[in-house]
Amino acid sequence: MALAIERKPAIYEGSRIPRPIPTVLQVDPKLREEGDILEVNFGPNHPSTHGVLRLVVELNGERVVGLKAVVGYLHTGFEKNMEQKTYWKAITYPERIDYLSFQINELVFVLAIEKLLGVEVPPKATWMRMLLSELNRIHSHLVWLGTAALELGAISLLWYCFRERDAILDLFELVTGVRMHTRYFQAGGLAEDIPPGFFTECRRFADVMEARVDEYEDILSRQAIWLERTRGIGLLSAEDAIALGQSGPVLRASGVDWDLRKADPYLAYDQVDFNVPVYPNGDVYDRYLVHMDEMRESTRIVQQALDGMPVGPWIVDDRKIVLPPRHELHTSMESLIHHFKLVTEGYRVPEGEVYVAVESARGELGCYLVSDGGPSPWRVKFRAPSFAALEATATCMSDALVADLIAIVGSLDTLMGEVDR
Amino acid sequence: MSWQHIPGFLEKREAHGETTVVVERERLLEAARYLRDEAGFNVLADIAATDYLGWNERRVAGYWGSIGGRDINSPGSWGLHKKPQPKPRRFSVSYHLLALREGAGRLRLQVWCEDGEPVPSVVSVWPTADWHEREAWDLMGIPIADHPNLERILMDEDWEGHPLRKDYPLGGEPVRFSGEE
Amino acid sequence: MAVERKRRANLADYGLNSERVLMRRKGPGVFEQELGDLESKLMLTTVEKAVAWAQGHSIWPDTFGLACCAMEMIAIVSSRYDVARFGAEVFRSSPRQADLLIVSGRVSHKMAPPLRQIYDQMLEPKWVIAMGACASSGGMFSNYAVLQGVDKIVAVDVHVPGCPPRPEALLEGIVRLQEKILAGVPPAYEIRGVAS
Repeated sequence: MALAIERKPAIYEGSRIPRPIPTVLQVDPKLREEGDILEVNFGPNHPSTHGVLRLVVELNGERVVGLKAVVGYLHTGFEKNMEQKTYWKAITYPERIDYLSFQINELVFVLAIEKLLGVEVPPKATWMRMLLSELNRIHSHLVWLGTAALELGAISLLWYCFRERDAILDLFELVTGVRMHTRYFQAGGLAEDIPPGFFTECRRFADVMEARVDEYEDILSRQAIWLERTRGIGLLSAEDAIALGQSGPVLRASGVDWDLRKADPYLAYDQVDFNVPVYPNGDVYDRYLVHMDEMRESTRIVQQALDGMPVGPWIVDDRKIVLPPRHELHTSMESLIHHFKLVTEGYRVPEGEVYVAVESARGELGCYLVSDGGPSPWRVKFRAPSFAALEATATCMSDALVADLIAIVGSLDTLMGEVDR
Repeated sequence: MSWQHIPGFLEKREAHGETTVVVERERLLEAARYLRDEAGFNVLADIAATDYLGWNERRVAGYWGSIGGRDINSPGSWGLHKKPQPKPRRFSVSYHLLALREGAGRLRLQVWCEDGEPVPSVVSVWPTADWHEREAWDLMGIPIADHPNLERILMDEDWEGHPLRKDYPLGGEPVRFSGEE
Repeated sequence: MAVERKRRANLADYGLNSERVLMRRKGPGVFEQELGDLESKLMLTTVEKAVAWAQGHSIWPDTFGLACCAMEMIAIVSSRYDVARFGAEVFRSSPRQADLLIVSGRVSHKMAPPLRQIYDQMLEPKWVIAMGACASSGGMFSNYAVLQGVDKIVAVDVHVPGCPPRPEALLEGIVRLQEKILAGVPPAYEIRGVAS
């Protein structure tokens, strides 16, 4: 995978990034004098389910001439809360950041801890993490598709997508006991062994999923209204996308062949075979196509992971970071002491700082972890892909109608929990 | 690539497979341009500001802003075995850079500053830095010089204080259980 | 239609401590039993019973999805956990057309004024379900940014615990709200005597 893209300066001739403020579309002063500009507030509570995003939009008739995104309505203070908890307890927090692909958030935090600790995770845990990450990706794309189609008027797709979504959540419940926010990953592997019956159910799901994706494409991809509402809308060129730090489906729909699973493989992605969908135009329709193809590729990865799942332990053997198995507590004094220290104080992570990035459903999700050698993190910062995607709204919205605004914001697949953390 | 040619180069550290380059705060903009144009780091992934107040001692902020810390979850309050390496200044701002080429070259560009010292904005180099720098200002109180629109982004506009600093209390309130009466 | 409110102001006189109605201390079926007795004690007229029947069986929620709980709230609309069985499938986007505000997700301090504004825009009678741990009490986020419980700013009728609550749990919350309405319990802002 060679990336042959010429290095152009970030704000170049054909760039649509507004100046001087890249994230604010400002009304042309001439237009302000002559036309009548209506300022409308797409307030934090609006019918699209992308969460609490506020867009202050200035309209000239139906055309959007000014745009400013106000975020922060879901700011939860994750990072400061995590500084007060031990690493073990802190793993429950990152899940709620991106609440649609929740285990991928856990994954990035746990990978950062493991990088600092320097432990090697057993292969079964690695493959299982990969399988669950791909299920999370499918889950996120299904909810995205259901809600994006709902906003553009294809209401019935919501029920179709949520049928599959419930099937995936049943799988999560089978493995971990909870539908959402499972907290299944642990520093060193998985929290518990995979229960029997999961692989059969997962295979049954994966066999059905490809046909379902074809069903969704049948409904939408050649439908006249869908094409008219999404073709040529919200254009983002490849150079602008790179300058604005985009990643994930938005970047791939703009023609840049970049996927962290291929470029810098983590977990076991270099051992499975999958394609990365890239489309050239950079409009809403291409982003939709990227999402659909990614669902198919994720299903392929799930099937390959089921075929190639190794046997063995599900968590590393190091008693300094992982609880010993319960039967040992009756016989071994050291195990008892380790168990006690781990539960009360938590394991200590050596001093250092790391940045780990994975490919979440929305793009590059990064975790910057600074440790001071103690049992709780000193600083955790999550790099949310939707944060960067929202910065690109002003560029995508350069000459859009109000109806296109909904389509564009939907296609950027932003999740406010991530943006505001 | 040769590290010495980065404008303002102070130090290079390598750990856990990652490279961190520390540059002088005043020459950050030149260093950023050099890294984007000459070294090919065309994506700014993240700007992470960190507060090292109390790095070598016990934690400063605790529950309700007292030095005692929470009882249930106050790990490390009984001291650390080994004191960590002291840091040059109170705040560090880390720019995580990514090069879109085979192998995904990553680099952490770091500057250090004290409370109130401004850090130049890199918006002209990577436009995506706009909101990241606003967040650094909002949550950590690091003033960014020459930023086109330096306002609070995640907190309310009239919020006082910078929440992610170590001397800002966690907040919240004690939990009362209804079975207590 | 003017409904007499005065005699219902002191539910405690009728032996109902409204906070306890929703907590199962004594065993299954007690909730329905308590409400059943209440209905006979309050002596609702036929018209009032009819109004309560109509209101209870067609509660229209407002789309107030904030965070993770919103995903489970959308799940109750889906075909597996069909909420249309209970009459509440019509999620209105405009608060002026909605009866029920399901606060699903963590409410930050920046979001609290819009929440109160939405609540104010709803017409009476209106009910509030605080869905999930974050809306009920701040949840796992006991910090500077999150409002510790949405009942600090609006009067909540039903708290649904969970993080996030399963769709069945939310349906149970809606069903209990329905039963409250049918029994004649006034909305929470009347019981607490707060502004609505």
